[in-house]
Amino acid sequence: MAKIFVDGTEYEVDEKKNLIDALKDKGVEIPHFCYHSKLSVVGMCRICLIEIEGVPKFQAACNTPIKDGMKINAFGEKIVKAREGVMEFLLINHPLDCPVCDKAGECRLQNYSFSLGHETTRYKEEKRNIPQEKIGTNLLINHNRCILCYRCVRFDREVVGVNDLEMLARGNDTIIAYTPPETSGEKSTYLNHNYQGALADICPVGALLNENTLFQSRVWWYESHESHCHGCSTLCKVTTNVKNNALYRYMPAQNPHADGFFICDYGRFSGKNFSENRLLHYAEAGAKTTSKQVLPALADKIASARSILVIGGGTESCDDVDQIAASINEWRAAGKQVKWDFRSSRNAFSKGNDHYDFLLSGDLRPNAKYLRDKGATELKDFDALQSEIRNADLVVVIGELSAPYAYHMNATSENHAHVAGLEIANAVEDTELFGSLESAAAWIKTALFTTHHDSATLRAALAIPMLAFPERAGRFVDKTGATKTTNSVLKPVQGLESPGQILVRLKTAARPTAGASA
Amino acid sequence: MATIQVHKKYAFKWYEKFYFMSISAGMWVTLKHFVKSAFLRRMVTVSYPEKKMPLSSRFRGLHRLKRNEKGQERCTACYCCQWVCPADAIQIVAAEVTPERQYLHPEDKYAKSFQVDLLRCIYCGLCEEACPKGAIYLDGGMPMPADSRDGLILDKAKMMETEGGAILGERN
Repeated sequence: MAKIFVDGTEYEVDEKKNLIDALKDKGVEIPHFCYHSKLSVVGMCRICLIEIEGVPKFQAACNTPIKDGMKINAFGEKIVKAREGVMEFLLINHPLDCPVCDKAGECRLQNYSFSLGHETTRYKEEKRNIPQEKIGTNLLINHNRCILCYRCVRFDREVVGVNDLEMLARGNDTIIAYTPPETSGEKSTYLNHNYQGALADICPVGALLNENTLFQSRVWWYESHESHCHGCSTLCKVTTNVKNNALYRYMPAQNPHADGFFICDYGRFSGKNFSENRLLHYAEAGAKTTSKQVLPALADKIASARSILVIGGGTESCDDVDQIAASINEWRAAGKQVKWDFRSSRNAFSKGNDHYDFLLSGDLRPNAKYLRDKGATELKDFDALQSEIRNADLVVVIGELSAPYAYHMNATSENHAHVAGLEIANAVEDTELFGSLESAAAWIKTALFTTHHDSATLRAALAIPMLAFPERAGRFVDKTGATKTTNSVLKPVQGLESPGQILVRLKTAARPTAGASA
Repeated sequence: MATIQVHKKYAFKWYEKFYFMSISAGMWVTLKHFVKSAFLRRMVTVSYPEKKMPLSSRFRGLHRLKRNEKGQERCTACYCCQWVCPADAIQIVAAEVTPERQYLHPEDKYAKSFQVDLLRCIYCGLCEEACPKGAIYLDGGMPMPADSRDGLILDKAKMMETEGGAILGERN
């Protein structure tokens, strides 16, 4: 620990940390654009200027090592004036388009312009005007707004590990550009890694924007709750952005130093368009009916089946998994042959614990570890899945074929950004499970617990609507074995239940009527 | 505590029971207006909608969306009016300006749909004040009657509709 003086007040700070971070821990916020705790220091923006006693010129706080007994003037008259000057330079080419900018409300430049800047500008010449470009599958760049803080370039190089953003030209003409790596065989037109949302997030101005959420809302309309991302078994802590009972995106947690600064696009946009096309009724062979028809029919099918194949459960919370396991044990006790599988799609086959990238786990089912502990087996390939389906008298699919999870299964880290939020309903038809059920002509013996209305619900013998992850709170066990809780961030649809609750109700369901036989 | 009787039924005098005074006082007003309008040509009503009363320059009526000097839409779908509207009458859907329609818009965001629900609107004029672009003004005159609820939802086409060309600049 080192003792430093800021404007005459003594602080005891951690000298191993960067000065900005160390002072932030003590509640002193030095303004900064280009500095980021997880990225290297460049000192591009100059807004963090401070005056150090004994040093003739102003120094950038991000680039100043902490020394014991250092006396800093951080908010004096002289230094505030200097920051005003820096602010004026930064705003020279920045257009006054906060009303149309998606970043407005979470924009550092906007905040500092209010707190540190001038009301007026002395700049009379024409501002530079470079047209907006699409540089990523889900990323736009507005060069006019860019203040060249170099954060995006550093993030791509140091965190993601790709060398595809670069600063081009010099002086007033400098722009950030996408430069596809030369070594790869075919040049890609767009940046396509899994952290385009994080790029837009760390951009301190509105230069990098996600196309996915472009112009759909203003940030101050979002209601935020703490939760955990449901996208994979990493289960990152996140803040939700909800408007009109629709989930728009996840944002990194409120306390990034403890819970991580970045989340991947895969999780970030996983709840997008979730509220559309929900399955709100029970269905029998695609026709709309009621629970009074479907549940007894299912109970009857279970009673008459000799071998049952249960697929899924990895998307459900621990309580639901417990309930599924209990039901399976009951069926086994009744002398039935029950097999419980999960992760039944090619992208998920035998991925185990490996990672797509530094955050996204190979295990795209959030509760996979808990399921494995409960005795569920993982299928290793497509043929195994098909033979399992052929041998079973009854196939119970829980969540595995509902559109958002199916989309999760289908998307790879390379193409997900392109798919994210769009056409998730079509994703169901591309899954291995859908293909297997189709080719084995097994729809007639399939009971489907699902969340969205899609082609699978039209085909399955019985379709049972259930609550989905944003609508209910639950415990999950991540890949390291830590228990994490997700919150109910959307108002649940009245009358829908979680698969666990439905299975409980199934036990008390009346004996089947004459019409509902397999 | 003693109760004080505040209300007491008024007892009519014998001549008041004929209501003669009250009726003649009322008829005098009627007669006055009859003489004014029939003989002195000082009409107190106009035959709407053929004739219209002149409105104050500050009158807040139907909403209109304005264009700038180049004839481009001023509205950039910033949602300020929707945000400030106390009656939740405004619904905007924003979209990105594509190069084909760039000539219609000064910025890169525009209102794909802009609806004002006149059944909800309370004509408070806060949207006028909130607009950073001077795009919306409540200077469209008296609200028009409609025969359905849909008819009372102003859309962009109706609000941009002008008599004799684009509406420019300030409130007219």
